[in-house]
Amino acid sequence: MSFDLDEDILQDFLIEAGEILELLSGQLVELENDPDNRDLLNAIFRGFHTVKGGAGFLSLGHLIDTCHGAENVFDTLRNGGRELSSELMDVILQALDTINEQFAAVQAREEMQPADPELLAALTILSEPGTHMPGDSGAEVTQADEAEEVAESEAEKPTAISGEGGVDDITDEEFESLLDELHGVGGETASTPPAAAATPAAEQAAGSDNDEMSDEEFEALLDELQGVKPPAQPAQEPPAAPATPAAAAADGEMSDEEFEALLDELHGSQAPSSVQPATSEPTAKPAAKPEPKPAAAKPAAKPAAKPEPKPAPRPVAPPAETTVRVDTRRLDDIMNMVGELVLVRNRLLLLNSNFNDEELGKAISNLDVVTGDLQGSVMKTRMQPIKKVFGRFPRVVRDMARTLNKEITLELIGEDTDLDKNLVEALADPLVHLVRNSVDHGIEMPDERVKAGKPRMGVVTLAASQEGDHILLSIEDDGAGMDAEKLKGIAIKRGILDVDAAARMTDEEAYNLIFAAGFSTKEVISDVSGRGVGMDVVKTKINQLNGSVRIDSEMGRGTRLEIKVPLTLAILPTLMVRVGKQAFALPLATVNEIINLDLKLTNTVDGQLSMIVRDKAIPLFYLNLWLNKGNNPNFKRDEGHVVVVTLGTQQVGFVVDALVGQEEVVIKPLDRMLQGTPGMAGATITSDGGIALILDIPSLLKRYAKRSIKH
Amino acid sequence: MSQTNRSLKSKTAVADSDDPVLQWVTFQLDEETYGINVMQVQEVLRHSEIAPVPGAPDYVLGIINLRGNVVTVIDTRTRFGLPSSEVNDNTRVVIIEADQQVIGILVDSVAEVVYLRSSEIDSAPNIGTEESARFIQGVSNRDGELLILVDLNKMLTEEEWGEVAQI
Repeated sequence: MSFDLDEDILQDFLIEAGEILELLSGQLVELENDPDNRDLLNAIFRGFHTVKGGAGFLSLGHLIDTCHGAENVFDTLRNGGRELSSELMDVILQALDTINEQFAAVQAREEMQPADPELLAALTILSEPGTHMPGDSGAEVTQADEAEEVAESEAEKPTAISGEGGVDDITDEEFESLLDELHGVGGETASTPPAAAATPAAEQAAGSDNDEMSDEEFEALLDELQGVKPPAQPAQEPPAAPATPAAAAADGEMSDEEFEALLDELHGSQAPSSVQPATSEPTAKPAAKPEPKPAAAKPAAKPAAKPEPKPAPRPVAPPAETTVRVDTRRLDDIMNMVGELVLVRNRLLLLNSNFNDEELGKAISNLDVVTGDLQGSVMKTRMQPIKKVFGRFPRVVRDMARTLNKEITLELIGEDTDLDKNLVEALADPLVHLVRNSVDHGIEMPDERVKAGKPRMGVVTLAASQEGDHILLSIEDDGAGMDAEKLKGIAIKRGILDVDAAARMTDEEAYNLIFAAGFSTKEVISDVSGRGVGMDVVKTKINQLNGSVRIDSEMGRGTRLEIKVPLTLAILPTLMVRVGKQAFALPLATVNEIINLDLKLTNTVDGQLSMIVRDKAIPLFYLNLWLNKGNNPNFKRDEGHVVVVTLGTQQVGFVVDALVGQEEVVIKPLDRMLQGTPGMAGATITSDGGIALILDIPSLLKRYAKRSIKH
Repeated sequence: MSQTNRSLKSKTAVADSDDPVLQWVTFQLDEETYGINVMQVQEVLRHSEIAPVPGAPDYVLGIINLRGNVVTVIDTRTRFGLPSSEVNDNTRVVIIEADQQVIGILVDSVAEVVYLRSSEIDSAPNIGTEESARFIQGVSNRDGELLILVDLNKMLTEEEWGEVAQI
């Protein structure tokens, strides 16, 4: 089947398959903990199947192969042909990784790599039913299964030889379904493929049915494409088909129905689901009955019965489409416009304070409320549950625990906490680092834990909750905790800290040392962690998000990391200041306090101007010297205000010429040409219509402060 | 904004549909006349307050508020390797769209829109400074006066690549 890759169809596939793959990763780990969960098993099987179907339609050969392998394994699993084991899970997870890689290649419109032949071979071996089967009828069942397997592998032989041919028997049917899905065709056609699949399969050898099927479907396809409603006749065919006993056919059919059912679920189309139960019921049962050995019939019938209840409840309440997919760029546009509206409102509020007109005041306060609501609603549309990030952690923790031979459970709390889409994406990496850290450094080896009187199984808790206008994320482990003295020692050894400074350090400041660049407690660098890069990146990233990190640790009891980030990145509360003639905005979250400049309190310590604030010397910088080079004839050293900002545990004072006030601003990114300008996080329109630059304090310090500041 | 904005885009061409005539907005820069494709010009603004961006490259004058959007303004003179001049009443900021970004370019004055057939455009002789020659798409001789046609995409991007390469 060589179709031109229709961009729209490809996009649909990418979105849908992407979601499924994301789900699969979580489901697989869940399955390992709950191996007897048949629903889960079926869901995973359907997941692989759906991705394969979509890939088949788009002729993504390598992707099909891998999905097919994984699907076969799960088919065996759910038929009871094999028990779930960690080794099997490893192979499956590896297959999922390969699928993800291949999927990423499709996404990037690149040529994808074929799966590792060893992996495919491993999948094939695993899809052969194992020799162990519970129950007395074990042998018989295995035999029947094997027969089935042979029939199936017979049918798949062409795959090995021609590469593509063998996939067709499924692909065609799915192709059909996919078309239904894509074009929203009514129910009649939807039931055709199973019928078509079953009839020839029963009458002829399993391998030779390809041509016929595709012919019929091709007709149907043409009908659909031309917008002709297909005749109702084919819909009546299915009941006739099941009369013939063919386990293999029943099996194939089942998955199709499931596939249909899945599609129904996904798209909430009403017509097919009402037809579905009618066809699937008679099909499945007779298919199993004529089987001579009742024991063998069992495994075949079981999965057949499974999908039934699923479509059944659906038709009762046909779900209307309640969701719409919207391009995020469109949302960004809306957000931008709302931001604009907020600015106009701010401006009106300011203007009104000059007029004191009561009527105008009322109208404006009304506008104020509506704008606020609108802002809230629009923000909500951009919200996504943090589940999207959390979802990947079970896998991360599982894999690491296996590599490190540790026993760890991961607890997720508050997965449904919503936060801004951009934040969700931005937080993913730092969280992965932190969780890896907890697993690698935090949790001890099982034996050590037992010695310390703790349960063998370590617990890492990942929690999210909303606190006012912030999101609080915490990563907690019940591991060994951090030793402040040891951290100081390492910092001294690595030249990050000198002995005197170390002695003055509080425990919390010492914990913060782990965020310093080049700091690693591990003597040996493993592929898991130890390069001393991770935590530095985490800190930087979270600072970029205007967030903060706090560490709390207790020796022998564990470590708790708290990350606070604002709910949204779109609107930023700032402190507007004036330097020279220009307005600058400092993120309010970092501003600690504002003090009048008093030269009597300043000293020059080691070449660095500093100021005593409540018995603590903090470095002081004149922003005028940094941001207003060359045109400050009226610059006076003794006038101005000191804005004290907090960076981690460190405080820094900035001398500004004037304070304008607190203002909520919409961050406008700088043009490509100006992006990356040191110290500038963006620009914004002030309430008086002017323009103000938003300062990025860490990068500002990095660029301008002569002496590097430890933070 | 209180400036008188002239939207040049809305001006309709009088040319025949089968006559391949291109329209060019001409502007003055240090006694020379330059032309840019009218399709890339969004609007022409009078000079207003430009907020400088500390730490930005020297050819970037700063940013302006264009009806709620932040637009970078570049100093075309610096860009073309010409000496900078005082801002006066004729100084204009031409808002252009090139390579998917909106940028303002500061010019001495904006003159008119001219119609040129493709055949009237010659390839560029080796004129101007080396700096400016890189952005030139071609020249056209109109009534004995040379019109230099600027390739904006190059003007905005090539330098960036150069800068990236230098790092």
